[in-house]
Amino acid sequence: MREFGGISLLIAALFMAFPTAARAQMEFSLDEVDEGDSKPAKESEDQGDLIDQLAASDDAEGGPTEPMPQREEIAEEIYAVQQIYALRLKRFELAPSVAFTLNDPYLKHYGLGLAGNYWFTNVLAVGINFIWYDWGTNPFERGTDLVPRIQNQFRLGVPINDWQFGLWANFTYVPFYGKFKVRKKIFQWDSYLIGGVGLMRTKPIAVFDPEFRSFDWRTNIAFNVGAGLRIFLTRYLTFFTEFRAYMWPDQFENTAVDPGAPEDSSTWLQSGSTFVANTSIQLGFTLFLPIKFEYRLPK
Amino acid sequence: MMTLVPQTLLRIGLVAALAVGLLLGEGLHSAASSASAQEVHVSGPLAGADAVKKLRLWREMRLHVEPFFAFTIGDEYSRSLIVGGELRFHFLDWLGIGGWGGYSVAKLDTNLTKEVESKGVTTNANRLDLPDRREFTQQVGRINWWSGVELHFVPFRGKLAMFQKVFFDADLDVFVGAAFVGVEERANAVGQPSLSDVSFCEIAGNPNDAGCLESQQARSKRTAIAPSFGIAFSAFFHDFLGIALRWRGIPFKYNTGGTDNNKDGVIDSNDRIRQFNNMFSVGLIFVLPPKIKTTD
Repeated sequence: MREFGGISLLIAALFMAFPTAARAQMEFSLDEVDEGDSKPAKESEDQGDLIDQLAASDDAEGGPTEPMPQREEIAEEIYAVQQIYALRLKRFELAPSVAFTLNDPYLKHYGLGLAGNYWFTNVLAVGINFIWYDWGTNPFERGTDLVPRIQNQFRLGVPINDWQFGLWANFTYVPFYGKFKVRKKIFQWDSYLIGGVGLMRTKPIAVFDPEFRSFDWRTNIAFNVGAGLRIFLTRYLTFFTEFRAYMWPDQFENTAVDPGAPEDSSTWLQSGSTFVANTSIQLGFTLFLPIKFEYRLPK
Repeated sequence: MMTLVPQTLLRIGLVAALAVGLLLGEGLHSAASSASAQEVHVSGPLAGADAVKKLRLWREMRLHVEPFFAFTIGDEYSRSLIVGGELRFHFLDWLGIGGWGGYSVAKLDTNLTKEVESKGVTTNANRLDLPDRREFTQQVGRINWWSGVELHFVPFRGKLAMFQKVFFDADLDVFVGAAFVGVEERANAVGQPSLSDVSFCEIAGNPNDAGCLESQQARSKRTAIAPSFGIAFSAFFHDFLGIALRWRGIPFKYNTGGTDNNKDGVIDSNDRIRQFNNMFSVGLIFVLPPKIKTTD
């Protein structure tokens, strides 16, 4: 029950952050975009990305040289392919989230995260994400029932590391996107792949000789890969869930104790590193900034 | 570090419930509002026309035959490598029914099992749990075969491009059903003479198994019935050929370590622990009839 209390608090905190925006209406209406900003694209010399042509940029001062066409006429001409509901191009994404570890058999870890991404194309972003795990709780209270089973049934101690935080720089790529309908609402979704490099702060929990041993947080080089699903609630607010695998080489407590010099800290850690792969589920919201963006409609 | 904690199922359920809640909440909230703006704004000659023309029907009234290779993930003591097959028939492009089965062709012990084998300690206080550490793998619970029937829903489909050169259709297949699993566990045993001082075991056919060594090797088999569910990503490269990446979860109880988990001095069905058994599979899809149909 303590676990669910923690989960509930994290999720509740996340929802409280967006009480009204999450209920915002999503309508596939041109009205939602600034009407006056829907300009026909300039005569394009380049044959580049259509998304680039559709999204207005800061330097897109060169507007139409002809009179602005009526909106109805535009709708008549571009009915075959509807505009993408929300563009990511040249927008900044801020994403608070909660993280639950899936595969640590010995210790439960709960994290609160924040990510920021800049979308330099409509499908590619670069950014960072940060997850804080250290809430000052006794790690043994977060232990799973496997630890006492191993201790009682096999007389084995289990070296366990706790986590403080992780910080990663990532690339995000969106290979899939689409729409789905729930009753009379249509939602845009996309699925993305994410990966990057960063650091993970961990420390062993003294289990084998806690009388003498104590450990400080250490920084490990870490990698991560993952995949996620994002559902647009409005043109600037999305709900997302992602599966992430955070990996790093970690040093655990030495299971052997030197009886002659138990206070010798050079004997406290195992000599080699163990590869740790933490898989986790993250849930959160993303806020796209600027909130409004402009379409430049092709002629 | 690869074992799923027992609460994983609940966490995943929480994630799913949250997502469904969000979607339904949005849907219900808008139920009284006006119709989709998307329909309203299609005012040209295509107004009222089908959303998609010439849609390729990969599944409707077709049979999918899928041999697969799978491996379990998140096991405490032993992973299974599985070879099997799946058969699905879809009445509609988004709805079908199917059956699957597989056999565990190999086992991979986890690091924890190797640790127990090399460092486990046996005393009379834990002899029932670990009669001989070197033979620990003999007492570990295993899954020998897997099968099930499932309903398949395909809510999302679309097209993918790789490097703007290779294009193929893809969809997400969500399925739910029942699984029938062949479980092999350590056979029932009673530690004697007392709970905290076990020097021999009582097992079927041997009331005086010295050191519980025979008990460690004794096995029993049963068929467990459990819910199964999962999601698959399918991509189709030819009219009759595709590939499927599939995750399937099958939660049920069994005695993973062959140990006295409820500490009553007896190894029996009461020592079974709920495990969120799940597997990942890669399959090759053959579609019959091989010729694909398209909509108007």
